[in-house]
Amino acid sequence: MRAFICGLVLVAVSAWAQPILIGFQGPLTGPWAVEGDWALKSVQIAVEIVNARGGILGRPIQLVVEDDGGTPKGGTLAAQKLIAAGVKFVVGTYGSMVCMPSSELYEEEGVLHINYGCTRVDLSARGFGYYFRTSGRDDSQARFFVEYVIPLFGAKRIAVMHDNTAYALGVAEDVLRYLKPLLDAGEVQLVYYDAIMPGERDHTPALTALRDANPDIWYYTGYYPEWALLLRQGKDLGLDWKKIKAVGSNACPISETVKIAGLDAVVGAMITQEPLPAFLVEKYPLAKEFVAAYEAKFGPIHDSPWATYAADAIFTLAFAIEATKSLDPAVVARYLRSGKVVGEGITGPLSFSPEGDRLGVPYMLLICDEKGESARFDPAVHGHLVGL
Amino acid sequence: MLTFVQQLLNGLTIGSFYAFVALGYSLIYAILKLINFAHGDLFGLGAYLGYTVFVYASGVVGRTLGLWGLLPMGFAAAALGTACAGLVIERVAYRPIYPIGRLPAVVSALGMAIFLSNFIMAVWGPRYLAYQESFIPTGFWQIGEFKIRVLQVLILVSSLVLLGVLYFVVERTTFGAAVRAVALDRETAALMGIDFLKVIRFAFAVGPALGAIAGVFVGMYYRQINFTMGWVYGLKAFTATILGGIGNIPGAMVGGILLGLLEALTAGYISAAWKDVFVFAALMLLLIFRPTGLLGEKVAEKV
Amino acid sequence: MNLVRLRNFAAHKPVRVALFFLVFGFLVSFPFWASRYWVDVGFYVGLYALLGLGLNVILGEVGLFNLGHAAFWAIGAYTTAILNVRFGLPTLALLPISALVAAGCAWLVSSPIIHLRGDYLCIVTIALGEIVRLVLINNPGGLTGGPNGVVGIARPAFLGHVIRTPMDFYFLVWAVVAVCALALRQLQRSRIGRAWNYIREDEIAAESMGVDVRALKLLAFVLGAALAGLAGNIFAAKMRMVSPDSFTFMESCLMFCIVLLGGMGSVPGTIVGAALVVLFPEVFRPVAQYRLLFFGLALAATMYFRPGGLWPRRRAVEFLVERPGR
Repeated sequence: MRAFICGLVLVAVSAWAQPILIGFQGPLTGPWAVEGDWALKSVQIAVEIVNARGGILGRPIQLVVEDDGGTPKGGTLAAQKLIAAGVKFVVGTYGSMVCMPSSELYEEEGVLHINYGCTRVDLSARGFGYYFRTSGRDDSQARFFVEYVIPLFGAKRIAVMHDNTAYALGVAEDVLRYLKPLLDAGEVQLVYYDAIMPGERDHTPALTALRDANPDIWYYTGYYPEWALLLRQGKDLGLDWKKIKAVGSNACPISETVKIAGLDAVVGAMITQEPLPAFLVEKYPLAKEFVAAYEAKFGPIHDSPWATYAADAIFTLAFAIEATKSLDPAVVARYLRSGKVVGEGITGPLSFSPEGDRLGVPYMLLICDEKGESARFDPAVHGHLVGL
Repeated sequence: MLTFVQQLLNGLTIGSFYAFVALGYSLIYAILKLINFAHGDLFGLGAYLGYTVFVYASGVVGRTLGLWGLLPMGFAAAALGTACAGLVIERVAYRPIYPIGRLPAVVSALGMAIFLSNFIMAVWGPRYLAYQESFIPTGFWQIGEFKIRVLQVLILVSSLVLLGVLYFVVERTTFGAAVRAVALDRETAALMGIDFLKVIRFAFAVGPALGAIAGVFVGMYYRQINFTMGWVYGLKAFTATILGGIGNIPGAMVGGILLGLLEALTAGYISAAWKDVFVFAALMLLLIFRPTGLLGEKVAEKV
Repeated sequence: MNLVRLRNFAAHKPVRVALFFLVFGFLVSFPFWASRYWVDVGFYVGLYALLGLGLNVILGEVGLFNLGHAAFWAIGAYTTAILNVRFGLPTLALLPISALVAAGCAWLVSSPIIHLRGDYLCIVTIALGEIVRLVLINNPGGLTGGPNGVVGIARPAFLGHVIRTPMDFYFLVWAVVAVCALALRQLQRSRIGRAWNYIREDEIAAESMGVDVRALKLLAFVLGAALAGLAGNIFAAKMRMVSPDSFTFMESCLMFCIVLLGGMGSVPGTIVGAALVVLFPEVFRPVAQYRLLFFGLALAATMYFRPGGLWPRRRAVEFLVERPGR
């Protein structure tokens, strides 16, 4: 009864209290509309969770949503629109080149900006005070590939392919950077390095060239539509993932890939990935709550790490504002920069470096098992899939 | 050598897709002198319609008639639906405008292209949709190390057959003569008692239908479709049309195949990333030296 | 019809002067009472007006189908970005240099293709636009930064005043638009302008009357590209970065629409067209996912109701007669 009354009071208070505006900027139209859609849904769920717990400082969150169409110009307009709406905290966006000019506007206006889907390294090297990201950076993933994945398979002949987008090129170049000492020492060989074009459908020519290069391991940094085509067409060309270990980067969710390419082409293909909600539910209670709420409202949970990071950006704001008892972006930003763990989000403890980078983003090597599901790669269980 | 033959086969398949779409471009251009920018997105619409029919019919029809009963149904539905869409667009967005001038019609066509792709997104969602394995012929022939897929042969053969039929209709029948007459000079043809609206309707039904067939093939071949695919194919097919000589049916076919081969070979032997640069540069060079395309006739623009 | 009567009324000198001051007053006072978001929208209207004015010279005045105008925009933007970031040249001083480089490139590439007719020229310009974009992506010699583009462009400064706020950029772009628009109007009424229109209406007749068709076509291309180069400089300064995904085929198509929506060869029309193309998706923001759907319909509808554009160029004849039935 007491809990009931407390609940009633809370609801009444939050209904009376002035909502706190939080902006969401994402690609709701244009080629990345899928990611924008997922991120928006995730953010909505996160807001619902926070509001159900009584909001922030007793006030509910109200989302202000703006579409940036996935272009730099659209990004600045969306940012101006949010700033003009009086938003002091913004979650957004997907794509480093869209983020760059918009984050500049937020910085100038002193709007706290938490980024969820931009991994370009130098975004956080601009000395900004209001810029944060809940996602990792390109170089941490590249390092994971070079220092963990390559030795794991004892690979000697390395192939790297990217798709000529900012993100993919970033990862690919960082792989080369970390690979350089090994190349100089003659321990490994780079047998293939080229780009494919995004939006292109036929990659057989590139794959034929890849086959002739005969690599041990093939790292594709890019997005899943092309990755799925590459795997499918590679399989049709007679490439064998037992001979060539196929590894994709973290924009290649396995479930989407299987749907497009067909299970037979994807079995045994791996990806380097931040932990997905499916793996997080066992570890973090908030992840469990989030996934349950998401699936109750929108159906099966997406497997895009970015959308999850978008939700975590909301939680970061909620924790930090609650802790500082302040709605001043400067105060909250200073608190976030301290490197303290502000709370436990969906993807684990949330803490940030003084530059605004997320600290301790873990990576995993996932494999597509016989059932077409993402599994954490375990040589004892999945060795036969990759010819170990 | 093996690689080379493989690349040739790839090129032929890609080229067939372009040729399919280019035929529609060329037909409509020949008759109306209109670059129908919405054509690429009609192709995309075809792919989505085919997908929907396959998904809903695969249960009943797939069980009773099997894959080879399902396929004609999907193609027919996609072609019919897209032909209707083509006719509606012609009636609503082009017919009131093209008598006034070609350029306003181009803007209208661009508007329709933007509308169609966003319409597809609104109806089917922004996600990539996957053609499932159950409605794709997956067989292949193995000749030594060399692999030919049934689907590839199907694509090549049907593109040749449909080109043949279209060519026959346009070149050898009375109705074809009317089409050619309208293409040559609409007003005189109308004075001669030719119902040029009928000819225009023919173009706007057959062109999109061919595009839709290509769309379904693309969906089956690459197994994925999304709402922006029409724009890319539209641009490439338009390039193929010009390469072959605009308004020329065999030219569109030759242009498409040539473009496909060029793409496959540059991607395979030079660089996948620079492929389109070479393709477009080749196109520019060709037009500098043959200003009306490969099979285009030398015609002075009307004075 | 009424529109013609309205236009004849608007042609009276006092009315025109009043109209001019009304529009001028609106444009100047706009940033002082509008929110910074709307000021930014106003900036983009100005930017696209500049691009549209450039294309209007090529497409509107001479009737050359150019669906690759974004290429020159990109060249201007990258010139500014590279020269500023690599060599530290001040951004505003690069305004004329960007225009010159874009014009030079236009002269180089259009010389061999200028003889192409109609739709063949159209595809070549499309190819040109795509080649430029792809080359920028492929990063030859590490010059263009590939898909990452070039970042960290310095803010332009004018007589010690750093141009940074939306209002500053608004006035910068509209000042450039005003200068260009006035210059283009003068050009329209000159020998060159009349020769251009002659080519557009009947190329063969123009040639037989001794008009140097080739040189005049080239001049139009070069001039149009120079204006796009100016727009590129301002765009780069505003975004403080350039990347290839800003200069897609779609952008070229939008510019094409701007010219035709406004009315071929009409300077005020081009500005109206730019306003329509920029404002429309912004007004329809509340229906985020569907706004481009409506935009597509609006393009077709405008051409249906106003096939000559929203503000077509006045022809001398229309002053004299009210054409029946139109």
